[in-house]
This record gives sequence, C-alpha cells and structure tokens, in this order.
Amino acid sequence: MKKKYCMVIDSSVCIDCKACMVSCKVQHNIPRGYWRNWIKHTEPDFSMGKYTFVHFQPGGCMQCDEPSCVYACPSGATYKDEETGIIHVNEDLCIGCGNCVTACPYGARYRHPVKRVPDKCDFCSDRLNMGLLPACVDTCPTKARTFGDMNDPDSDVARLLRDRETVRVVSRPVDTKPNMFYLAETMPADWPGSVEYPAAHQAMTGFVNPLVKIAVGLSGLGVAAMFLKQLFTSDETSDHEKKEEV
Amino acid sequence: MSSKMIHRHDKGAIFIHWFNAFCWIFLTLTGLGLISNEHINPVGAWWPNLMRTIFGSGETLLTFHIYVGLTWAAVILVYILIRFRDSLGFLKEVFTLSPARDAAWMIKKNVQLTLGNNALKKMGMTTDIPPQGFYNAGQKVFAQLTVLAGLIMVITGIIMYISTIILNNPTPVAWSRTIHYLMAGIAFAGLLVHIYMAAISRDERPAFKSMFSGLVPEDYAKHHHELWYEEVKNKP
Repeated sequence: MKKKYCMVIDSSVCIDCKACMVSCKVQHNIPRGYWRNWIKHTEPDFSMGKYTFVHFQPGGCMQCDEPSCVYACPSGATYKDEETGIIHVNEDLCIGCGNCVTACPYGARYRHPVKRVPDKCDFCSDRLNMGLLPACVDTCPTKARTFGDMNDPDSDVARLLRDRETVRVVSRPVDTKPNMFYLAETMPADWPGSVEYPAAHQAMTGFVNPLVKIAVGLSGLGVAAMFLKQLFTSDETSDHEKKEEV
Repeated sequence: MSSKMIHRHDKGAIFIHWFNAFCWIFLTLTGLGLISNEHINPVGAWWPNLMRTIFGSGETLLTFHIYVGLTWAAVILVYILIRFRDSLGFLKEVFTLSPARDAAWMIKKNVQLTLGNNALKKMGMTTDIPPQGFYNAGQKVFAQLTVLAGLIMVITGIIMYISTIILNNPTPVAWSRTIHYLMAGIAFAGLLVHIYMAAISRDERPAFKSMFSGLVPEDYAKHHHELWYEEVKNKP
C-alpha cells in the first residue's frame, strides 16, 4: 500500500529549545540565514500579569495534498511522490525560476543561495531510507513531533489521528490540505499567507497560453481550409501542374 | 516542364534552411515536453510523459533541449558572420514591406487560398494578386517572426540556462520562460502554414523542390515572384 507520511505535533509540550531547527541545519548543511523548519510563537500579553504565557508551535513543510508549489512549477521539478506523499525538488530539472517559493503560503521554501534551486523539508528522505526518523523528530527532547505513515493503522500518527482531536494550520482562502496536524489546538494560527502565484506564472496561464492556443488554432484552421480547397478543386489545375505530378 | 530554370538558393542557404528546420522542430517538440505541469501544457500530460519515455528522463530531455538550442544558435551565428553581406541582404529584404501592395496581397491571398476566387469576388475584390519580390508578403511576415522569435528565444533561453549557475534573482528566469513559450507558440502557428505550403500545397511544389536543387522554373518565378523575376531574368 502507498505510504502517506505526515507529522502530528503536540505543540503544548514544545519548549522552544530549537533543537529541531539545529539538527535539521546540521543534517542538511543548510546555509547561514536559512531554515527548512521553524518554531513559531505567540506574542506574550504582559497585561495578564502572572498568567502571561507564550505558546510555541514547531513546523515545517506540510507536504500538502493540494500543493500550490507543485501547481506553480512548470517543469515538474517540484513534485509530490505518489508512493510517500513527500514533496521533492528534482534539482537537475529545476531552472530556478522561484515560482514555488512565492507560491508556498507557509514560507516552507527558500532559494538556496549557492545551488540557486529551491530547498525544503523532505522529511529527511535519506534518513528514512536508512530506517531512521527525520532529524528533527529524533532530536526533540520533549517528543513534540511524531512522525509516521498515516496509511498504516498501527503507526503512532494513525493512532493519534484516530484517538485525539487535531487541527491544521491552513492558508486562506485556498486550503492547500496540509499534512501537518496539531493535537487539540495550537497557536499562532493566522500566520500563513495567501496562495499567490508570481506575475510571470499568472501571465503564462492567464494570457500566453490562451493566446498561443488561439494562434495555433487559427493557423491550423487556415491550413485545413487550404487543404480542403485543394482537394476539391483538383480539376482546375493547369496543364503545367498536371504534368509535374506525373 | 520545358521551361528554363532560374537560380534561387545557393548551397549555403539550402544547408542553413534544413539545419534550421531540423533544430526548430526538434526544439519545439522537446520544449513542449519540458512543460510537464498538465495545468500549463496546452496538450496535457501525455506529451511530456511520451517525451520523457523517449529520452529516458526529464533531465536528459532538458539537457538535449539546452544543447541542441545552443548549437543551433552558435551555427546560425557563425553562418551570419561568414556570410555577413548576404545575411544583411536577407534581413533588408524581409523587413522591407511596401504597405499598400503587401497588405492587399495578404488579404487577397488569404481569402483566395482558403475560400477561393468566388469569395474574393463576392467580397467586392478583384482576383488579381499584387506582384511580389523575392519573398511574398506572407513569407516576409513569417521570416520576420522567425528572426525576432529566434533572437528572443536565444536570449531568454540563455537566461534560463545560466539561472542556476549565476543568477541570484529568479524573476528574470520566470519571465524568460513565459516569453520563451509565447515566442515558440506563435512561431509554431506560423510554421504550420509554412510546412503546409512546402509539403502539401500543389502550387508551391516548385518552391519546395528549389529547397533541394536551388532552382525554380522560369514560369513559376514569373507567376509567384514577378518583381524578383523582372530583376533576374536578364542576368546570366
């Protein structure tokens, strides 16, 4: 059966130690100033006095079921692996147009400053192939992050999704159907942007594509008309042309 | 077929025409295969899938597209440099339009070829077609299109090629692809007519043959390219 990897996060136990971010950076040799994953937090309201609190929310690429990054990629370099549900970047096929980076409402991608192709969380696919957990999951001291195959009913994530109430942090108004679930509730929830495709991509789908279709269609129609006319007017050919055809 | 033959294309021009034709068709087919996003590809997902099967993988397909494109551009550039005077002459010929004559030709010839002489008469136009030079107005417009589209596709293609090597800003790359695709699409629309004229149209068969032999029959030249014929008929 096809796997569908996901992450179930208990954000209430996150202590903001950022070990997940550090282990990810080390594992994937992420350049300075860039991150594949994150811990978001709420703004403390100090007027609450001794009840003031901050809620931490670990996250990363949500491996969406309706991935705007994949829809924004013309060349198929960014794709969702049907066998695992993980969204990968084929760096050899990528021309570095940056469409996917803009299109992700969660900011889960960045353009690698040296390779100049997008880089993102792939649930540590190399580690998964070796039978290891993703680095961030492995390293989390409070076990806030649970990782597994939600299609396997015996997996931890499937059990959590079955027995506990979960919420997702989603973009509005387009819900990209993320596969990152938070137990009970989580904060902040209003940070994702909207799904926005770059102007060059909008021009391609909204203007250039219809224009090309119309141009090729008209041209094809003209050719078809000329061909039909030639078929039905063969009697009018001059002597010269008849001779030539023989 | 006893009519005298007139020299129209030399060997260099014939070579560059067929080289250009091969590369252009190859690049159009592979380029369309590179757009694997079925929401964008005008023919859907089957074509990119087919191309990837033929070439083994998307990466190989991209590599072939890039290097055939660069080779095409390099050969055309060398050709232009070696035959600089001829190339300038070609550009001058195809970019010189005489508005009244060429506009009349474009309208009348299009109607005549698709709907026939009777339709031309019904529209209140005479059936005489304005005389044309070395290229007729349709050929000129197609040549202008290929020159401009070729130039723009070389520039946008190189921008996409060097994007992951040196470009830190992705925006020019995103626009390059959109423009590259637009130019290829419009040129393909023109190419359909060009191929029809060459390979299928009965009237233009001598022109097709001249792209191998370099020669056209005198009466063809007189009928289809009267102004050019008047220029060259007395030359040896």
